[in-house]
Amino acid sequence: MKKFLSILGLLLILGCDPFVTEFEDLSNALMYEADSKSNETYDSGNVKVVTWNIRFGIARFPFFGDSCGDDVILDDETIEKNMAAIADSLNAIDADIVLLQEVDVSSKRTGYMDQVQYLLDNTNLNYGCYASMWKADFIPSDGIGRIDAGNAILSKYELTDAERIQLRLRTDQDGLTQYFYLRRNIVKAKIPALAQGSKDFYAVDIHATAFATDNTKQQHIAKYVEILGEIQFSGDYFVTGGDLNSVPPGSVIDFCLSDVCSDESFHTDADGGPHKEGSYFDNFEGEPNILNPLYEAYDAAIDSDDANLPIHLTHGPSTSDIKYDRKLDYLFTNGIWENTLSKTHQASWELSDHLPVSAILNVGGE
Amino acid sequence: MKKIIFYFIISSLVFGETKKWDAHSAYLLPQKRWEMGLFQPFRYGYSESIEYSVYPLWFFVIPNFSLKKSQNDIAGFTSASQYKIVYPTPFLNMIAKEGIMGIIAPDFQMPPMLGLSASWLMSKNMAGVDLTLNGGLDMGFAFGDLDTRSTIDIPLVYHRLGVYYNNWGFHTGLDVQKNISEKIGALADIDLRLLPGLNGNYSLEHKLLISWNKSENFRVLTGYKFVMGEYPYGSDMHLLPYIPMAETWVPIIELQWARKKR
Repeated sequence: MKKFLSILGLLLILGCDPFVTEFEDLSNALMYEADSKSNETYDSGNVKVVTWNIRFGIARFPFFGDSCGDDVILDDETIEKNMAAIADSLNAIDADIVLLQEVDVSSKRTGYMDQVQYLLDNTNLNYGCYASMWKADFIPSDGIGRIDAGNAILSKYELTDAERIQLRLRTDQDGLTQYFYLRRNIVKAKIPALAQGSKDFYAVDIHATAFATDNTKQQHIAKYVEILGEIQFSGDYFVTGGDLNSVPPGSVIDFCLSDVCSDESFHTDADGGPHKEGSYFDNFEGEPNILNPLYEAYDAAIDSDDANLPIHLTHGPSTSDIKYDRKLDYLFTNGIWENTLSKTHQASWELSDHLPVSAILNVGGE
Repeated sequence: MKKIIFYFIISSLVFGETKKWDAHSAYLLPQKRWEMGLFQPFRYGYSESIEYSVYPLWFFVIPNFSLKKSQNDIAGFTSASQYKIVYPTPFLNMIAKEGIMGIIAPDFQMPPMLGLSASWLMSKNMAGVDLTLNGGLDMGFAFGDLDTRSTIDIPLVYHRLGVYYNNWGFHTGLDVQKNISEKIGALADIDLRLLPGLNGNYSLEHKLLISWNKSENFRVLTGYKFVMGEYPYGSDMHLLPYIPMAETWVPIIELQWARKKR
């Protein structure tokens, strides 16, 4: 009987991974290393940082979830081609630290490619950490199936103390939808090689909510500001960025009509609504200026005065002819960027519906 | 005496040994007896040498039919052959859709597919334990373009449908059944499916069930099923049934009914 109970206990432990993975408020990020490392010693000088929402390597594929498309699963050959092009772009940018959003590591929709490992093995980056924002054995909707997608920090230098910080879930969904839905997060890691004397150096990566119509976005940005404030308060350095799904102050706030799909209709009510989820940036009081606390407290790679210039737009809907028409992706630091060298890499528009933004940190600059 | 021996030899050739509540063995159902369960097929003892079964609830979306035929005893083992035919296409196209319960991406149209399976079963009672060995060949035919991205990568399903993507496969297994008391029985089995060449080429399934036989016509079973195997995403193992939102395993509850047709 004891043997039987032991075997049953073992089966329970081994065979009962959660169907949908939920996360603690704070948990460890998953660590990665490149198969073969190169150039991993920091020998002073400036540090180049890039943020990029790579749209899990499907480029401008008309994916059902975020555009007017209705496709779900891209073929393996095209994904490999797209990922190779993303790796080439990262090699060309030659960043020391890469903040990625929408990276798949084991998803049916992208042929179960571990994109974090792929990028480490095909770029000059050596270390990585990853935090899932959507992890389930099976999503029984639209043929999504198994999914594991999230944020990743890649670096030439070793990452330590990598944390996954849970962001609040949306409250404008029913329980069943919320159970199978995204669990967005901030991923934060220490880079000991870049410490300045007794001051530690952190990289912080975020992907804030896109489609919430409640105040979830406000909560996400507030949590982000809180995390950055803690690092600042400790007297340490950080570089940070990501897809904030928020427009800069002074931007157009209503993209409903430019994002509308053929079977949709918006702005038909007397009050100007309804609005398209993810295309309207005035869902709650203060949303158009939601990024002000970041601009006021830290150095932005692209100043707020320049953020709405066409050369700094970072996003366009994947199924429209528009290459980019709004800025959603940002880099900040509590150090100093070499501002004239910050760049939005708009030539990469075909590789994702977001564009990479890079900046160079003046290490030791005050 | 010779007549009696001759009768037994002939009857073992023509009529298989019959047994109630023993779906996975080489024993056939007694003639005109039917059995069915919540999760088990409807089985019917057509004659002393033929039993057939169908999954009635699924029949209109997954037409299926299985036939078990008694064979000559081998080395003291009661033997039978079993043949199955399945046409899963209507159901697969029903679940290839947008939205909730879209299990297969709507990008894919599943072609007509036919599954054939032939098994050999051998059963023997050894020291009060019913032992059954089985093995066989599975074949899957797709009459059109079957996109390899349309697989359903979950336990029990992936390797059963895998034969359509791989065109062929093997299965083998061992069942052990014992009556613990007059009303209580136990069944343990282990089944291996091999799909050589497929990305995710094997599954090993193990089940343990305890049954309470209320009568010849009704019984309740409870237990678990453990599945381990290789999938397109790697190796995995599951204890089933599993309730997703509660994130917990729960015991199988199976009810089975039987009657004898007059």
